[in-house]
Amino acid sequence: MSTEKKLKRIIIEPVTRVEGHGKVSILLDEKNKVRQARLHIVEFRGFERFIQGRPYWEVPVLVQRLCGICPVSHHLAAAKAMDVIVGADKLTPAAEKIRRLMHYGQMFQSHALHFFHLCSPDLLFGFESDPAIRNVIGVAAKFPALAVQGVMMRKYGQEIIKATAGKKIHGTGAIPGGVNKNLSTAERDVFLKDIEKMMDWARGALKIAKDYTVEHLQTLAPFGSFDSNHLSLVRKDGAMDLYHGNLRAIDAQGDKIFDQVDYQKYLDYIAEEVRSWSYMKFPFIKQLGPENGWYRVGPLARLNTCDFIDTPEAEKARKEFTAVTNNKPNNITMAYHWARMIELLHSIEKIKDLLNDKDLQGKDLVVKGKRREEGVGLIEAPRGTLFHHYRVNKNDQIEMANLIVSTTHNNEPMNRAVQKVAEDKLSGQKITEGLLNNVEVAIRAYDPCLSCATHAMGKMPLTIELYDHNGNLLDRKTKS
Amino acid sequence: MCLAIPMKLTEVRDDGTGIADIDGAKSEVNLTLLDKPEKGNYVIIHAGFAIEILDEKEANERIKLFEELGQLNQAGH
Repeated sequence: MSTEKKLKRIIIEPVTRVEGHGKVSILLDEKNKVRQARLHIVEFRGFERFIQGRPYWEVPVLVQRLCGICPVSHHLAAAKAMDVIVGADKLTPAAEKIRRLMHYGQMFQSHALHFFHLCSPDLLFGFESDPAIRNVIGVAAKFPALAVQGVMMRKYGQEIIKATAGKKIHGTGAIPGGVNKNLSTAERDVFLKDIEKMMDWARGALKIAKDYTVEHLQTLAPFGSFDSNHLSLVRKDGAMDLYHGNLRAIDAQGDKIFDQVDYQKYLDYIAEEVRSWSYMKFPFIKQLGPENGWYRVGPLARLNTCDFIDTPEAEKARKEFTAVTNNKPNNITMAYHWARMIELLHSIEKIKDLLNDKDLQGKDLVVKGKRREEGVGLIEAPRGTLFHHYRVNKNDQIEMANLIVSTTHNNEPMNRAVQKVAEDKLSGQKITEGLLNNVEVAIRAYDPCLSCATHAMGKMPLTIELYDHNGNLLDRKTKS
Repeated sequence: MCLAIPMKLTEVRDDGTGIADIDGAKSEVNLTLLDKPEKGNYVIIHAGFAIEILDEKEANERIKLFEELGQLNQAGH
């Protein structure tokens, strides 16, 4: 078979994802009530096999080339796993802070992208409004200053990634045991010049998300919502820490399921279930079982699991956030957007602190220790906790790899959100425009690595199929 | 995990939109996030937005990687 044909085969599958044909099927029971909603996600599963036999130090670079949507998160999670392999138990201050700066830069640009380009049209125009206007071009026409801010904030984050990780997307900044470059004072000063403006814009974005959520709380609270467990890394003192920490899981009431778990032992706590209808697995907390052990990750989960945030403005915002649910976990799907903007502000506060830290100009960049055969690296990626797990043989080749990405952790929650929307909005045996809009809004709250979350050109490439209790197709509607 | 395959811009329009192509599969994309996109640029797309321009060398490196992935998938099925 020619190379071209081989290429085609692998290309076609992911391209359907790029084009974004998200598919939802809704199954009815005998009384024509919603029995189950399924969100079908085509996940690529060959990666683990693909990297077998490759030298371990190539992996942080490889993953960021393949995962161009959140390259820095994969890059850092892989590098953290490789730190364990090379026995680098504590990085130098320069190395850890450069990596953190890179990570907060990624968080800032990713959250800004999601908010301004994918979510703000829903908030600014209302999610029942005409999709032809409800898109970023509509925002640019009606709120031109805001659209410019979105682009500039994203650019700022990307420039930080470029300065700390080499080229924008395929940076080579983190290597097993540390980093390969520090930040010069000249590079730093460029970022310091604009930092106050970025802080200001982040405050503005947070205000939009907060005001919208508070104002529409009665409508938003039940929308696609359900009680769930929540999982994230937290620092030893319980603070939010997006770069490093131990695992904490809480239930819907805020009681701890486990806490301060060393993530090298994640397999003792987390398992994955396979379901026949889905390419994507369903992770769950082992002690609770697959039925009750599923959980949410990402901004909402992180706001719920942490005891506090260690930057003043984001902490003030967190208190306002938790007050809405009387200091109990917030289980409102649409509150993801507000939580995301609190993290946007937290990230820029962190960036400011780091830029003023002289350790960034440190020259001691790499450490090594006793070589190990197995390593796990976790990071709080913009969309949620990201797991990288590798085993390396004596010839330095990868023998085993296991990745659990945030969209997979949120698989069951996204299905629940769609189901809730279907239960509330489906009437009769027809799929309406309104239902399509609402399903899209619920999925988008999770910021999945999917393109069915698209707003591009006012199009929503999402297909919904409705089946009766015998499995007969009743209706099918696509917007493309 | 989701993959980010470089696509080539075959059309750039004045209204900030365009067409990206990989191996004949075309996709309409929003280009407003890019700094001066040009026909022939390789881009990474997320949720209908082109989010990054890659230089040709980097794009080819990546396409080569995906090609290897494709061969592996053939062998595995």
